[in-house]
Amino acid sequence: MTHARTLAPRVLTTSAMVAAALVLAGCTSTPAPAPGAGNDAGTPVTGGTLVYASGDAEPSCLDPHVGGNYPQALVSSQYLETLYTKDAKGELVPWLATGSTVSDDGLTRTVKIREGIKFTDGTALDAAAVKANFEHLRDPKTASSTGYLALGKIKTMKAVDASTLELKLSTPDNALLESFSMPWVAIESPTALKRSQEENCAAPVGTGPFKVESWKKQDSVNLVRNADYVQPTDSPSHAGAAYLDGITWRFIPEAATRYAALQAGEVNIIDNAQPDTIAAAAKNEAIKHLDAPRPGASNRIELNSSKAPFDDVRVREAFIHAVNVNAGVDSLFFGTAKRSYSPLSSVEPLGFSEESLFAYDPAKAGQLLDAAGYTQRDAEGYRTKDGKRLSLVFPVSTSQSIPAEQSLFQQLQATAKESGIEVKINLLDLSSWYGELFQHKYNLVSAPYTKVGPSVLSILFHSDSTIPAPSGYFANLSQVKNPELDKLLETAGSTKDEAERKDLYAKAQKLVLEGYYLLPLYDQQNHFLYSAKTQGVGTTTYSAKTQGVGTTTAVASPTFFDTWLGK
Amino acid sequence: MRLGKVAYWTLGKIGGGIFVLWAVATAIFFGIRMIPGDPAEAIMGGPGSQASAEALAAARAEYRLDQPLLAQYFGQLWRLATGDLGTSYSLKVPVAEVLGELVPPTLTLAVLSLLVAWVLALAVATASIRSGAVGRALASGLEIVSAAVPHFWLASVLILLFSTSLGWLPPVSTQTPAGLVLPVATLALPLAGFLGQVMRDSMLDAHISSFALSARARGESENGVLLRHALRHAALPGIALSGWAFGSLLSGAVVVESIFARPGLGRSLLSAVTARDIPMVTGVALLSAAAYVVIMAFSDIAERLADPRVRAA
Repeated sequence: MTHARTLAPRVLTTSAMVAAALVLAGCTSTPAPAPGAGNDAGTPVTGGTLVYASGDAEPSCLDPHVGGNYPQALVSSQYLETLYTKDAKGELVPWLATGSTVSDDGLTRTVKIREGIKFTDGTALDAAAVKANFEHLRDPKTASSTGYLALGKIKTMKAVDASTLELKLSTPDNALLESFSMPWVAIESPTALKRSQEENCAAPVGTGPFKVESWKKQDSVNLVRNADYVQPTDSPSHAGAAYLDGITWRFIPEAATRYAALQAGEVNIIDNAQPDTIAAAAKNEAIKHLDAPRPGASNRIELNSSKAPFDDVRVREAFIHAVNVNAGVDSLFFGTAKRSYSPLSSVEPLGFSEESLFAYDPAKAGQLLDAAGYTQRDAEGYRTKDGKRLSLVFPVSTSQSIPAEQSLFQQLQATAKESGIEVKINLLDLSSWYGELFQHKYNLVSAPYTKVGPSVLSILFHSDSTIPAPSGYFANLSQVKNPELDKLLETAGSTKDEAERKDLYAKAQKLVLEGYYLLPLYDQQNHFLYSAKTQGVGTTTYSAKTQGVGTTTAVASPTFFDTWLGK
Repeated sequence: MRLGKVAYWTLGKIGGGIFVLWAVATAIFFGIRMIPGDPAEAIMGGPGSQASAEALAAARAEYRLDQPLLAQYFGQLWRLATGDLGTSYSLKVPVAEVLGELVPPTLTLAVLSLLVAWVLALAVATASIRSGAVGRALASGLEIVSAAVPHFWLASVLILLFSTSLGWLPPVSTQTPAGLVLPVATLALPLAGFLGQVMRDSMLDAHISSFALSARARGESENGVLLRHALRHAALPGIALSGWAFGSLLSGAVVVESIFARPGLGRSLLSAVTARDIPMVTGVALLSAAAYVVIMAFSDIAERLADPRVRAA
């Protein structure tokens, strides 16, 4: 009965919208606008296949529960949806869920699941389905890393009824809903999850506007429209299914080839656009740019405080004043990257910035180094203390740092030399880079980390994160071990008071910034270029429906429900 | 007596081939394990994965990584000897299956490139011989430049010229013939320069040799001399080099397949190395080594057929 009651208004609204859409569709039969009239005006056209060219690695599994990295988030956002997502203002909004409550002690979280939604295999979405997903994520055989970590505090779970899921937590976790908004915790059909992992990796089944039709390895994933799609929100951006017939998700590793393919009209949208390309595309009217910085941590250089010379805060501060970051960012990124002074991404509402700490000031660097005892210079002009050169090891992963970033590091190396600091940059492949980290063979390091919400600070700066995971990985690369900071992060993660949470996270960020444990650079770069004929590519979220734009997910991957192909 | 020689030769080739394969498998097995870190973490979605202890333990058991190193090594050799290439860590499917899909596109690319390089090299050599000292110097300069051009740079220039500026050819390699033109050109041009250098020299030697002179005296036309005598001489070093060239084409494929977004062995080798996918790296390397061994043997045979002196020796 409840099912029918909630469904009725939906059916009515949907029919009204379909009627409206039909009226609108009628308009398209009027003569096409004159050439050059601009592509922005116009009514959505149904049909056509969007070609997306990705420069990220090809996922080894299309189910983001398995492993859990950004390439998986990008593609799976087209066919899987999450319980929560983020709106244009960066605020958390329910999606496959309709809401959630938490008990006074913070240990029981009740999630209400939206009714009337079906997976593309016909299975209905309900509390039991969500429970099956969480169990799948927690099963060691699934080999989940990101999703597994996100659900770490859930102790037990119970589907109370079809639309109610009750979660018992080991400790209060106010980041849980933010975790639910991440594609790595997306909800899949429980029927499909029962298949073998190989089958599920090849074609996961979700509730999204598209579904996986086929996957040609090293070439493309072929996605087709989910004809029965219902957008899980009370104010859908448009009625019915997606405008596109489908999406061809191509893998084109080389940046220059991707851009050439976009210019040639072979693809409609490319990701991982490089700074020089974005600057070149700005002069081309046929190509548009979407800048969608990733949430979580900013891109930063971490200073390993666990060993000399960075165990001395004066040397850390001196290094930060010795390097001229802004000049490098301006010249190498062509204005496509904005300098950050925060441990958090600019899209994180609780980010805290402190520009004054990071001024380029070689004179001050010199004083600090003198005070720290580096008063002598060797034959090459580097500062020494007790005959030992002030030398820093900086392993750089060539697969994680784009060429512009590697050049920036070289410029920092050059400016540090002027203050008598030697920076040894080692360009390494990903495995060797992790190898150096595991053995603590670094003084400086730059590592990306994407997670929705400020709780990423606990992963990066809590002293627990200095203890390596079974795989050898530890996220606290600056090796901050500060009981005061730990306390701030723990309280911030469990408080129910939003104002207190904000205040605590600000204090925590202030502490790491003032301790000179990191040098913030810019947001994690997430640039897309697309042909101007491609309309309604995600710039914000579904709430911006007046612009006819599509959506990005909580981790800033674009979605194409509202996208259509112009002539 | 003759049969004994052939059998001896064949046995030698097979033995050498097996030795090469064993050496490659051994080098890869120990080489990859010398990189710091745990292979189990590669199975769990790449280095730095934050997999749980249970998940890592399960992966170790499944892929026999919990056994002593030597036991793993001999187990691996035994499985390889019985034709079992194992299961890819990153793709979670049998390596043999993946290779089966990737061999045809790479083979197409390599064979076409080799053919085009031969045709180009012979055409330039023949034309330059007929066009005097200036023409020869010009051709030689061209060959040296094209032999020295890096694949990466050449591919970028070709895309810029033929896709972005002229719009004639697609920058992304599709399964259509048009999509093959740029990747094949990228591999063929440097190779043609290299082959051409060698071919032209021996063609010139033949052209001015006594047997060419006597052919001309018999009334053979200039074209006839080139085609019937000089060409055969030019082909000899070309054949000898083609085995080596094929190997270099496979390494060139790593670059070309990535730039033109073509599926193939080279591209999968690159991603397998990045992902520390040991079974996949081993599979691709063994296959390349086997192909190299077979092609070297064929080039030996072809050389014998083309040159009576080698046969007699």
